[in-house]
Amino acid sequence: MKLLQQVPRNALAWIIISLFTLLAPHVGRIPLWILLIYLFAAVWRIQVYRGHWSFPGRWVKVVMTVSGFAGIYFSFGSLIGLEPTVALLLTAFALKLIELVSRKDAYVLIFLGYFVCITEFLFTQDLLIVLYSLLNVIIVTTALVALHQPGEHQFNRSTIRLAGTMIVQAMPLMLVLFFLFPRIGPLWTVPVKSHTAKTGMSDSMKPGDISNLSQSADVAFRAQFAGAIPDKSQLYWRGLVFSKLEEGAWSSLGYWDVPLAERRQQAVETSGASLDYSVIMEPTQQNWLFSLRYATPDRPGILAAPDFRLYSLAIVEAEFQYAVSSWPEAVLEAELSEWRRKVELRLPRGDNPRLHELAASLRDKSDSDQDYIDAVLTHFNTQPFVYTLKPPLLPDDDAMDVFMFDTRRGFCEHYAYAFTVMMRAAGIPARVVAGYQGGEINPVNKTVIVHQFDAHAWAEVWLPGEGWVRVDPTAAVSPQRIELGLEQAVAAEGTFLVDSPLSPLRYRSVAWINQLRLRYDALTYRWQSWVVGFDGTMQFELLRDVFGEISAGRFAATLIGTWALVLLPVAISLLRKRDTKRQRPVDKLYLQLCERLGKLGYPRLAGESAAHYAERIAQQRPEWGDELRRLSTAYTSLAYAPPAATPDPMQEKVFSRAVQKFRPRKSRA
Amino acid sequence: MLSQELGGQGIRQRLRARFRAWVNRRIPPARAVTLNQRRIFIFPSRAGFFFGLSLLLMLATAINYQNNMSYALTFLLFTLFIIATLHTYANLSGLTIRALRAQSAFPGQQAEFDLQVERGKRRAHFALHLMWPESSEDLVNLVTADSVRVQLHTAVGKRGWFSPGRLLLESTYPLGLLRCWTWIDLDLYALVYPQPLACAELPGLASDRPDGAAVAVSGSDDFYGFRDYRRGDSLRQLHWKGLAKGQALQSKQYAAYADRSVWLDWDMFSGLPTEMRLSYLCYWALEFDRRNEEYGLRIPGELIQPGIGEKHRSEILKALALYQVPERHA
Repeated sequence: MKLLQQVPRNALAWIIISLFTLLAPHVGRIPLWILLIYLFAAVWRIQVYRGHWSFPGRWVKVVMTVSGFAGIYFSFGSLIGLEPTVALLLTAFALKLIELVSRKDAYVLIFLGYFVCITEFLFTQDLLIVLYSLLNVIIVTTALVALHQPGEHQFNRSTIRLAGTMIVQAMPLMLVLFFLFPRIGPLWTVPVKSHTAKTGMSDSMKPGDISNLSQSADVAFRAQFAGAIPDKSQLYWRGLVFSKLEEGAWSSLGYWDVPLAERRQQAVETSGASLDYSVIMEPTQQNWLFSLRYATPDRPGILAAPDFRLYSLAIVEAEFQYAVSSWPEAVLEAELSEWRRKVELRLPRGDNPRLHELAASLRDKSDSDQDYIDAVLTHFNTQPFVYTLKPPLLPDDDAMDVFMFDTRRGFCEHYAYAFTVMMRAAGIPARVVAGYQGGEINPVNKTVIVHQFDAHAWAEVWLPGEGWVRVDPTAAVSPQRIELGLEQAVAAEGTFLVDSPLSPLRYRSVAWINQLRLRYDALTYRWQSWVVGFDGTMQFELLRDVFGEISAGRFAATLIGTWALVLLPVAISLLRKRDTKRQRPVDKLYLQLCERLGKLGYPRLAGESAAHYAERIAQQRPEWGDELRRLSTAYTSLAYAPPAATPDPMQEKVFSRAVQKFRPRKSRA
Repeated sequence: MLSQELGGQGIRQRLRARFRAWVNRRIPPARAVTLNQRRIFIFPSRAGFFFGLSLLLMLATAINYQNNMSYALTFLLFTLFIIATLHTYANLSGLTIRALRAQSAFPGQQAEFDLQVERGKRRAHFALHLMWPESSEDLVNLVTADSVRVQLHTAVGKRGWFSPGRLLLESTYPLGLLRCWTWIDLDLYALVYPQPLACAELPGLASDRPDGAAVAVSGSDDFYGFRDYRRGDSLRQLHWKGLAKGQALQSKQYAAYADRSVWLDWDMFSGLPTEMRLSYLCYWALEFDRRNEEYGLRIPGELIQPGIGEKHRSEILKALALYQVPERHA
């Protein structure tokens, strides 16, 4: 093979290391057999290097590629979508290692490595992942550097140091580009994450759904208020409104379920100061957003539905930031349309007969709607209902009858469900609202961290003159849930986050762990709001703040200026003089002399000794002969004196003066 | 059609000539060249263009997914590319390439060219790829040593001074994304001897000497004695056994040596073309050298007294090689 095509051992080692460090963060979302392919590929390539095995033949490669494709198809059920695409990329990455023969293949692998690094960001842009990916970029770059260090068989640190240095040198310019590069909309549609990756609240609710969600310690979103944070018990984050009850499951009205005339949100009169806050949501792969009651969005792309919830036109695929203004006291839908009233009263016929009986008897005893609501809440409060994270399974038919009269153990969705059915049975328009309740206040940066275990469901009833009013039947059963949160509410049961023993949230009582967790969370918030959430709008504001006026000239000047500012020091540090041999003054003088003679047409030949040179010139120009011979003898004795003998400074000075004095002229005397 | 092609070739040749003249002005021939910004060229390598394509793909990903960290990584790699230009340049900058010597050779043989690559600053240089057009290649690093010697081999052409052309020194270190190179004329020429051509006997020799061809044919193995080794003595003359016993290096003297000296004369092959005469003379010079007999050379403008040994042989061959060859330096 040609010299330039050889892959040095170190490069191979670094490539194999990078293969695994790049794979590591993906492990949770790919089938396990891909990991085995990686091990297999690494072992094969190392055996080839050691001369035990040989490179795969063409047919072996074809078989491996086809089975890779097939395996991914069977594991994911499809080849379309982000996860299968990334899994394909990762498999190709490993298989390419087996056929890494020449430098060209190494380039393919290394550039693929950079691309694998990017795919990780499509799933998460978490601060730790970003730092880890930076390490990955350094490792891949090290492989690239090692590829150009032939014959270096010692595994040395200087390779990774150089790669790290170059990355560090590239950082400032990257930042400039990051903030100046115009943000434009997507160019074409790309594979999106599959449905299995959806997290958080789903668009339908059955008893047991929310208690399942509450096992998770993941963060759903973080909110930061412009003013004081309202009391925890007032933080009802509305996400979904369920008006439809079919086959024992609640769901929202679809777009086509709503007649044209009802698709616009009714105007709401707002008075007083608004509650302003911004929310950064973790990706959910769904459309709905979370906000407090009566929220207006800050930008196009977020719509307000007729049932007063917000949703995003685009699926929330990455961390998503939006700002909201809320008026919690506003009257929602003062006038209820006929269609709306019909929808919000509809119940499946013949369902839950015992519950209907109870509703009828309670309604008979009450004077007003409000009285009836209170009576139902009192019923929950006085009967032996238990609020539990582990509710028993309910049958598909007449589930609420079984819950209300037999098991009496339920989570918030059970109470919201039963309560709403009882309202509708008594002719009061009602619906279930799902979202989150409460949150943890981070004292470090005054944000509200809402976790998945804060998931909650409650009810809304429509009362004449008051519009939609929130009623939370869970509060009647377990007031601690609303005032203190889930952990306290289920403390006696000991079921809080039982499935995630390592979650730092379980160790909130250990002060330093909690402090660390909150500090990191604050950092995450800042990271998400400043870097991850940086978009066209923020860019425009930033540039306006920095430049005052945005013009092409200033843009270019900044770009060129900062680049020069960074590149110059790098260039100087790279090229600054560090001479290998300091020239001795004697040599310098002699070379000066040679140069002087050279200019007159008597250059010293390569390899000519001082004595020879003097002799040669003396033959051509006898008038210089004596002086030249004297000088060259003096030089030889000075320059080639044994190193032990310290040179006589006087002798050097004499030589120096003689050289200075010797000024031959071109014309013959 | 034909004329067009010719015209095209004419333009190409003219362009090539102009380019050569430009390079000559920019990097004039010298026995030692230190690389600086006038002499170093830099351009993205093939891998660099491929890298650029990958970056475009990454940028498309970042835009399509509206993913800020993908933007950041894409920009980081782009600026890495920019930074790499400085590092790639620095890898060649400050290097001195020195011509050491060129071995003489017969036509069609490989001549060896010795170079030395020195660094000016105590900084590691990697993957310096050196080659002349048509020559063998070498890949050297300067990590601990301050200089490294490089031997390149290239097939030589016809008799006279052979120039291997401009030396290409290139490197893509550290990232392979950019290629830095220089073409330097090291003013290094290999001497190409005439192609030796065997002819059955040496014409005219018989008339000069009574014992005729016997001189040329008989061996010169009448041992005479030893004398101290002198530079230029043939290796075959050396008294190896003595050296092995720890004695000083000595050369064997042969009796036939002085007596049977031969003149290789230009006129021996009168009537033949110049090159053929030179080829025959060359063959016989080698033949006498092999037999260890004294021989001299007499060609127009050159007269070399009979002698023997490596030095003598080179002298003779050089004279033959440079017969009617114009001076290298105008």
